[in-house]
Amino acid sequence: MSVISFIALILLVLVAAGFYYGRSRAIRLADGDTALLHSLPNYHGYYAGIWAGLPAFLLIAAFAMFSGPIVDRLTAIELHTQAVGLNARYEQRISSDPDYRELEQAVILLRSRVDTINAELDSARRSDRENAEQLVVLRQRAVELLNQSTRAEEDLRLYAQQVAVQVSEAGRAEGVGLVALAGFELEQTPRERRQLFLSDARRLAQGELASRDTPELRAAGAVISAYQANFRNVVAVAALLLGFAGLARAHMRVNVQFRARNSVERLITTVLFISSGLAVLTTVGIVASLLFESLRFFGEVPLHEFLFGLQWSPQIAIREEQIGQTGVFGAVPLFAGTALITLIAMLVAVPIGLFSAIYLSEYAGSRFRLSAKPVLEILAGIPTVVYGYFALLTVGPALRAMFGAIGIEDVDLKSALSAGLVMGVMIIPFISSLSDDVINAVPQSLRDGSYAMGATKSETISKVIMPAALPGIIGAVLLAVSRAIGETMIVVMAAGQGANLTANPLESVTTITVQIVTLLTGDQNFDSAKTLSAFALGLVLFVLTLIMNMIALRVVQRYREKYD
Amino acid sequence: MIEASPQQAAPLPGAQGPIKVAARGIDVFYGDNHALRNVSIDVPDRSVMAFIGPSGCGKSTFLRCLNRMNDTIEEARVSGSLCIDGREVYDKSVDPVVLRARVGMVFQKPNPFPKSIYDNVAYGPRIHGLARTREELDAMVEESLNKAGLWGEVKDRLLEPGTSLSGGQQQRLVIARAIAVQPEVILMDEPCSALDPIATARIEELIDELRENYCIIIVTHSMQQAARVSQKTAFFHLGSLVEVGPTEEIFTNPRDPRTQDYITGRYG
Repeated sequence: MSVISFIALILLVLVAAGFYYGRSRAIRLADGDTALLHSLPNYHGYYAGIWAGLPAFLLIAAFAMFSGPIVDRLTAIELHTQAVGLNARYEQRISSDPDYRELEQAVILLRSRVDTINAELDSARRSDRENAEQLVVLRQRAVELLNQSTRAEEDLRLYAQQVAVQVSEAGRAEGVGLVALAGFELEQTPRERRQLFLSDARRLAQGELASRDTPELRAAGAVISAYQANFRNVVAVAALLLGFAGLARAHMRVNVQFRARNSVERLITTVLFISSGLAVLTTVGIVASLLFESLRFFGEVPLHEFLFGLQWSPQIAIREEQIGQTGVFGAVPLFAGTALITLIAMLVAVPIGLFSAIYLSEYAGSRFRLSAKPVLEILAGIPTVVYGYFALLTVGPALRAMFGAIGIEDVDLKSALSAGLVMGVMIIPFISSLSDDVINAVPQSLRDGSYAMGATKSETISKVIMPAALPGIIGAVLLAVSRAIGETMIVVMAAGQGANLTANPLESVTTITVQIVTLLTGDQNFDSAKTLSAFALGLVLFVLTLIMNMIALRVVQRYREKYD
Repeated sequence: MIEASPQQAAPLPGAQGPIKVAARGIDVFYGDNHALRNVSIDVPDRSVMAFIGPSGCGKSTFLRCLNRMNDTIEEARVSGSLCIDGREVYDKSVDPVVLRARVGMVFQKPNPFPKSIYDNVAYGPRIHGLARTREELDAMVEESLNKAGLWGEVKDRLLEPGTSLSGGQQQRLVIARAIAVQPEVILMDEPCSALDPIATARIEELIDELRENYCIIIVTHSMQQAARVSQKTAFFHLGSLVEVGPTEEIFTNPRDPRTQDYITGRYG
């Protein structure tokens, strides 16, 4: 058992002890007459328990979160100080080596020539007077120079490496410590690979598999684990001390007048505040990342082209030699496809859902209602992927057969109609249960009033209940629409992927969500316009559903005010 | 209208004037709960009869028998004979929808529909097809609002929602709505219990005016109200009709000791 978990166990015991101690001390101070206490004895107990446990556990949590980077940093410093001698020797050898100087000079010279030719090329490009031939020559020359300069840099690097190996060999022969050698190696490692070095060392120290295994790495690992152990022990002791300090504080503060209840309440308020803050911050973070990635996309593809372009073909050349793959990002076919499928889904879901809600709330006997409502709710619990293969394997072929029977042959197996129908079925329980709530919220007195006027049931429903419930029902429908727009699985499986701009429900169409899925699944280069376009689509989706939800909530709210 | 042939029951002793509603041996059950026991009563036309009694004594239940509103409660059962104008209300041939057009009802809490004032009053005439033209409907709405004493207050705002009126105005609007279908009997179930004294006085005045044309039955918890508006009073207790007679007699010289106890405030 590690030290920290042992300490955590002790802290738990402390918390329990604190609770009983605070409680019994409060009772004792009040001479058993708990009515004298400002707060109930349990609150004193909570207070003591919280002070015994919370600060210490927070410390441990902070340790768990930040110990890794801190230990790495400490290790790096340690390795650096150990390797000072070797480093100095290396620096000295390099600065006094004429070969190295020569190579260095060559690199500097070549770099400056590359800069010059690039500047020339730039100015040639900008002024149209230069003829094309000259440009080609210049470009060739630039490439040549760049290659030379890269080669020279490589030579320089290899030479330096050679020197470094010599230095460390010499050091080893002289009996310099492994830690110093590891430090020297770390110093010589390029910056971006140092993290890898450290994590390899850490792995070796913990007996796990690392990408390399050298005595130097093992030595560095030993340093790391030493630091880790020390750090852990310090934190463990500090946590224990904090626990006892908390208990002492509770001991001093608990008395008859002490407002333990208020302190506990304050803590609860803080916890609640932090939770809600986290929820809000997460949302803000997600929206912000969506926004920034979209901005990058709109840097490459203009906004109006994205919003109003009629052609969607996001394939982009990944390698130079692929031809004719420039990518067109007009999202109108996706919007149209989404709208078409949503419309079909609503045509299915709104009447059926609404009528079933009316039947269940106004006509059905209590026995039927009690058995039918759970069944509807089960419908809402079916995973959408199940609906998806239902659409793909059952509804699609059935539609094709049906339309084939009446002479319409060109029905795609994946069509807007099959996806829309199945999505409609998925949304039925959503609409029916929301509408049911809304209809039930219409006061019974309105029904009585209408019946007492000699109205029949259907007159009462159509003339009194529906008008009264209409705002709520509209809200329910809008919520359902935003759900249909954002629905992914069914359309991925049943609507197809071709971005057709069509109003024919028998053709295959594609939606915003489907495209996001296809753009981001598989191996992708996350810098291309192709993948960035997924974020722009996501942003559109977000804005659409946000607007829908806002309108819906506003409508529902206004409806609520009427009866309250 | 009700098709069953007239079968006027013999009037109960003490009845005077034309009888509008005649009940004989009415029992009502809500599931296992015997809510009303063997109630027999004659209600005279063109007068106000008050039902008084402690809560849960069955007076509202009896009221709801008269327009068969108990039908909307799933587990309610009614037995006995109940005639309006000599025609059996619980006869199989009677359509409760038609019956309710003749027997209007006003509830405890004002319940205007969430529609305009005009549409509230026009609701009944529209569903029963009482008006052939828009002008006729306008005239009906005006007449009903007039009878309910509300016309002067709302004539310039007929298109505003009925729910925007004050509580007393809403209750008068509901009365106008009930009058608009030209009923013969108006049932009022504690119509003033949600109103302040001034609105209450206004409604009582209205009830007194309406008496000239309708048979009105009012359930009330206010003894003073019963004394002020009614000509006859019936006292219910534990599901039974204890005593019925001229209001003055009931309040000054009750025959039954239970009535005596109730009106002197010993219980209820």
